[in-house]
Amino acid sequence: MNFLHLLARLATLDTEHTALTQAPRRAALSRLGQAGTALLPALLAGLATPAQAGQKEVRTRLDALKLILKLENLQNAFYSRALGLLPGGPANPATFFGSAATRDAIQTIQSQQQKHAALYGQLITNAGSALDASPNYDFTGSRNGTQPAVYPDVYTNPDTFLKVAQLLKDASVQTYKGQAAFLQSDNYLLETTVRAHSTEARHAAHIRTLRRQRGATVKSWVSATDTAITTAGSPQHAVYTTETNINQYVSLSGLVTRVPFDSTLPINVGTPALSASALLAKVAEAFDEPIESVTAESILQVFTY
Amino acid sequence: MAADILLPMHITSFLERTLRRRSFLRAAGATAASSALLLAGCGSDDDPTPTNTTASLTFSSNDNGLLNFAYLLEQIEATFYQKVVDAFPSDFTAEDKAAFIDLRDHEVIHREFLKFALGSNAYDRSLPGAIIFNFSSFTLTTRAGVYAAARTLEDLGVAAYNGAAKRIADAGYLALLSKLSSVEARHAAFVREQAQPGSFAGPDVISATDGLDVVKTPTEVAASLVSIVPLTLVVDGLTNLS
Repeated sequence: MNFLHLLARLATLDTEHTALTQAPRRAALSRLGQAGTALLPALLAGLATPAQAGQKEVRTRLDALKLILKLENLQNAFYSRALGLLPGGPANPATFFGSAATRDAIQTIQSQQQKHAALYGQLITNAGSALDASPNYDFTGSRNGTQPAVYPDVYTNPDTFLKVAQLLKDASVQTYKGQAAFLQSDNYLLETTVRAHSTEARHAAHIRTLRRQRGATVKSWVSATDTAITTAGSPQHAVYTTETNINQYVSLSGLVTRVPFDSTLPINVGTPALSASALLAKVAEAFDEPIESVTAESILQVFTY
Repeated sequence: MAADILLPMHITSFLERTLRRRSFLRAAGATAASSALLLAGCGSDDDPTPTNTTASLTFSSNDNGLLNFAYLLEQIEATFYQKVVDAFPSDFTAEDKAAFIDLRDHEVIHREFLKFALGSNAYDRSLPGAIIFNFSSFTLTTRAGVYAAARTLEDLGVAAYNGAAKRIADAGYLALLSKLSSVEARHAAFVREQAQPGSFAGPDVISATDGLDVVKTPTEVAASLVSIVPLTLVVDGLTNLS
C-alpha cells in the first residue's frame, strides 16, 4: 500500500470516529489505553473487507475490555436474578424454570458468566485502570418504569426469560467477535477473549436448544428459519439483521474478492440439492457476524438505567 | 511412523509428479513430503508387497500455514458428517438427521470457504487426490457413537481455532476465522448435549477457574488427529508462531 494513502486513510478514520477516541479515555494512564495499538489491525481489516463498516472503528484495548465487562456484568445480573441469587427475579426461583435440567443449565451459564466478569474486572484493574460504576438493570426493558416494558413477564414466564437470554447470548457472541479485533496486539488478551467468546457461543446454542425443546422454532445456530424474537426498528433487532449476510471477502493476490457462495463454490452437496435460497440460508448459518461497539452499547442500554 | 500405507503400483506416476512439486508446495504454505502419499481412489485390490512408508504434511510458519491447518480440520469435519449422512445410524430420529444435514452443510461451506481463501496456496491443490481420513476409532453405527464422535471433533475444532487466534498475523483473517469458530462452538454445545444431557459447557471444556473455553496449540491438535489423518502432520512452525 502506498504510504501516503495509508496516512490519508488514517486521517479519515480518525475523523469518522472521534467520539470513540476521546482524550479522557487515554487519561486512564494504562498501557491498555493506547489508541494506536488497535488502529493498525482495525484499519487493515477495514480495507480487506469493505462491506464491514464496523471494522473501521478505532478503539483502545481498554475500551474493548470495558465493553466486554459491561456485557458480562449485565448477563451475570440477568442470570443471578433468575436463580434468586440477587433480588428482582422470579417469585419462586426454585420452580421458575419448570425443570431441574433447565435450572441446572442456567446455573452453569451463570457460574461461567460470573467468572468472566471477575476475570475481565481483574484485567482492567491489573492494568491500573479503575472500573466504571455498575449501572442499574431492568430486564423488562422499561428502564425502571420510564417507558413501556418490552419484556414485562421476563421473570414470570420462562419462555420470555429464555427469549431475552437468547438475545443477550447472540449479542454477546457478536460483541466479543467485534472487540477481539482491538486486542490482537496482545496475545494474552486476545486468547482470553476468543476463549470467552466460544464459551458464550456454547451458551447461546444451548439457550436455543432449550427454547426448541419448549416448542419454539429455533435452531442451535442462528438461522433464517428461526422465528423472529425482535421487531424491526428496535435496538435489539440489530442482532439479527446482520446474520443473514452471505457476503464474505478475502484477499486473493492482493485483490479483495467476494467469496462466490452463490455461484461457483461446490457447496450444494445434498441429495436432493437445495434451492438457491435454502443454500444461501445455510451459508448465513455457517458464519456468525460481529457487531460494532455502538450497536452492542445500544442493546445493553435497553436493559440499563 | 504415523501411517503404514499400501501403495498400489499405478499410483507411482502420481507420486513422482507430487514429489517434483515439493518445492512449490513449501512456498505455498504447506509441504507434502514423503516417500509415499495416500491417494484417493486407490481402491485397488492388488496386493503389492507392503512397504512401510511415512508420509508427512508440513505446515509453513505463517498465515497460509494456519489457514491450511484450519482447512484440513474442516475437511475432516465435512468428511465425517458426510459419512454419517450417507448411512445414518438406525436409531437416529428425524431431528437428528436434520441436525446432521445442517452440520454437514456448514462444514462443507467452511471447507470450501477456506479453500477459496487459500487459492493457489491450498495444500492439496497439487496433490493428485484427496487424503482419505480414517474414522475407524469411532462407532458410527449408533446414535450414541455418532454424537460422541461429533463431540470429539467439534471440541477439537473449537480448541484449534482458539489456539490459532493469537498466531494469526492478518487482522482480516482473524476476523474471518472468528466467524467460523463460534459456529463450531454452537455445534459443539449441541452435539455434547445430545451425547450427554447437561454437558454443553462441561468442566472438561470450560475451565472451572475462569470460565474460559478449551484451547490447544497446533501441536496438540495434530496429536489428536493421529488416528484420523494417515500423514504425519508437521506443525511445529505453526505452534511457534506468536
